[in-house]
Amino acid sequence: MNPARVLVTGLGVVSSIGLGRRAFFEALAEGKNGISRIESFDTSRIGRDYGGEVKVFHARDHLTAAETRRMGRCSAMALAAARMAVEDARIRPSHLGGPRTSIVLGTTMGEADVLGDIDRTWIARGLSAIRRAHLPKYGSTLLPIHLARAFGTEGTVIALPAACAAGNYAIGYGADLIRQGRADVVLAGATEILQELQYSGFARLAAMAHTRCQPFDLNRQGLIVGEGAAVLVLESEAHAVKRGATVSAEVGGYGLTCDGYHITRPHPDAVGSIEAMRQAITRSGLTPSDIDFVNAHGTGTKANDAAESKVMHDIFGARTKSVPISSMKSLIGHCMGAASAIEAVGCIFTLETGIYPPTVGYETPDPECDLDVVANVARTGKADVVLNNSLAFGGYNAVACFAKPGVLPPPPALEAL
Amino acid sequence: MLPRAITGYGVTSTLGIGHEAFVSQLRSPHPLEPAPDRKLATIDLVKYPKARAFEVPGFDASKYLGDKGLRTLDRLTKLAVVAARLALADSGLKKDNQFVALSPERVGIVCSNAYGSLEAITELNRVAKLEDPRYINPAVFPNTVANSASGYVSIWEHLRALNVAISDGNCGALDAVACADIHLAQGRADAILVGGAEAMHEALFLAFSLLGTLDHPDHVRQVGHLSLAEGAAFLVVEREKIARARGAQVIGEIVGYGTSFESPEDGSTLIGPSGDALGRAVLNALADAKLDPSDVDVVASSLSGLHRADDAERVALDRVFGESIPVAAPKLVLGETLGAGGAFGMAAALAWIEGAPPSIMISGKAPDHVETVLVTSLGFYGNASAVILRAPEKR
Repeated sequence: MNPARVLVTGLGVVSSIGLGRRAFFEALAEGKNGISRIESFDTSRIGRDYGGEVKVFHARDHLTAAETRRMGRCSAMALAAARMAVEDARIRPSHLGGPRTSIVLGTTMGEADVLGDIDRTWIARGLSAIRRAHLPKYGSTLLPIHLARAFGTEGTVIALPAACAAGNYAIGYGADLIRQGRADVVLAGATEILQELQYSGFARLAAMAHTRCQPFDLNRQGLIVGEGAAVLVLESEAHAVKRGATVSAEVGGYGLTCDGYHITRPHPDAVGSIEAMRQAITRSGLTPSDIDFVNAHGTGTKANDAAESKVMHDIFGARTKSVPISSMKSLIGHCMGAASAIEAVGCIFTLETGIYPPTVGYETPDPECDLDVVANVARTGKADVVLNNSLAFGGYNAVACFAKPGVLPPPPALEAL
Repeated sequence: MLPRAITGYGVTSTLGIGHEAFVSQLRSPHPLEPAPDRKLATIDLVKYPKARAFEVPGFDASKYLGDKGLRTLDRLTKLAVVAARLALADSGLKKDNQFVALSPERVGIVCSNAYGSLEAITELNRVAKLEDPRYINPAVFPNTVANSASGYVSIWEHLRALNVAISDGNCGALDAVACADIHLAQGRADAILVGGAEAMHEALFLAFSLLGTLDHPDHVRQVGHLSLAEGAAFLVVEREKIARARGAQVIGEIVGYGTSFESPEDGSTLIGPSGDALGRAVLNALADAKLDPSDVDVVASSLSGLHRADDAERVALDRVFGESIPVAAPKLVLGETLGAGGAFGMAAALAWIEGAPPSIMISGKAPDHVETVLVTSLGFYGNASAVILRAPEKR
């Protein structure tokens, strides 16, 4: 028996260019830029001050008072995105609660600002000044647990910290839980906050641009850090059909490899990234010629964009220049763990509308990145199958495939691969 | 789930380092006793006279990894890499640190950790606050992400298949089993290091201490106490056919997994260990393994000394098995290792399957012969997981 098809039936997003489906889709179509001067912490000594900060998010708009007391901003954004996704899916609480629903969330550092606050109190005012109730709020473990509590789910609750590939990890694993018969519904996504330590660290790695992120441009200066959260409602085909759900997309196969090479540098031959992309295609029962659009990892660093171009050429060969590719990181910055989850929502936007979101700030093509970049303004075109690339620090490669419903062949049998 | 072969394991634990030391200590375990001078490598406990915190005694990673490249690694990573290296050697996948069976592209890792590298995060927060954020060491910064330990294991051990880090508090290492099973079924790897790691650090110790769980004199009778500890444990888990085909010695099989979650009743709190969730997780694991409760010979429980959690676990086990089920508590000699806890429970189960008599019994009589072990993990937040291990089938 073949495993179940996995369908996307709802989506929610918290981003610097909009909250929720409608605002986010409109922003992608118009190429809205969400990168701005950071206001949530003091950047005066860091040497950089721009980020994809989500300025319109107020936890209290989405959470109860008790929930806002129980959790930090990172969890709050995830819970808000999840509530939007559940609303978007029009799924009833009775379909959501119980043992057949699971929660899988990715992140890089989770509630890092909770720990930052505790550390600063400890340093400045001593142990006795630390509020005990604040301590258990730290820990990536809690991210999915807050969602499980909110929706009354009893299946798997798990956080998958996978650096900047965490969103694809979570969506992929959520799809696996359904294919393996361990769940009917999964809320899968990722969440990340802009936070002082992480921001300072990226600045120190000399990987950060000043005011804009220009993926694949000859004069790109590096990445811009962003924040946000996105959650997808994944359902088995049988479950979605039974409740009459509206289907946005099908989740295809995904590729997962590890460079095992260096903690911040990509492998010079990009073998792991190539293999991850190849797996995403073959595990979806497709060939490279079936791919209509690639959402790039596209961080805007010299090393990433060159390596990713190499991967594209290896996969698509002579066809590379006719595969449109774009990086949402030019609009919202690199949202780290949340990046590929937010960008997965962007992929679904492309499948639903036939619009490829633009890479803004693309001025001078880089011969090393000889690609069909969707430059500065959105473009329309065929959008039956799209790939979502995540090629993260630490050699974590995860590439996901999304398709219009009815396009993909049945998923391959388990243990047969 | 299909039976998965276990072909070896490696540990860095309060009981010692490596498979053999672990088994021999587990045969005649001593309850954890603080060192007389109360000095640990990571914390000076003299300031905290009643607190119970334990390290891997005399841990020196350079003995196993050489001196090169260790300077920017934190304790968490070193504990993990050493355990992983020992596991790969124990399974016969590697000899002299080279793969002699399977290729690196077919070997992956799924690693649980609950709280990340507090050593790196706390120190860099200190640098940013007290000195200057520009002084953050870029070589240490990557250690602050929650998956850094598993990332480093993949680099040090050349693992090129998947690399998954898991955070599910105390349940993560058992959830790693489910995750590995899924990836083996999907053909993403032929062998996977499955386990977890957690490191002692002053911030971890202080947090548990402030929460009144570490032998606080006013609270000890009410809440009990943990023996907070550290360590790493990895099992080498393989697709059965491939393990047999390469002639590996199969020391045990994983045959079932279950998990569940139950919201705490009190909306104002985060903490709420749930016996109901654990009971469901155990039943799910039994169903997954197609076994009855009477098939289980002994439980490697997650009883830790914390009354509220222990009471919940006892009620759950009684409900599923009745009161006569033999229950052991490995955490009484290994300490509470949080994200690594389930991996140590599985390592203890393997030791018993291999012939070491079950020890640290809390109730019931230790069976003379162990065929089937239930390993439980009860989380602090309403999460719970269970795994069932069996003696390998004779073929």
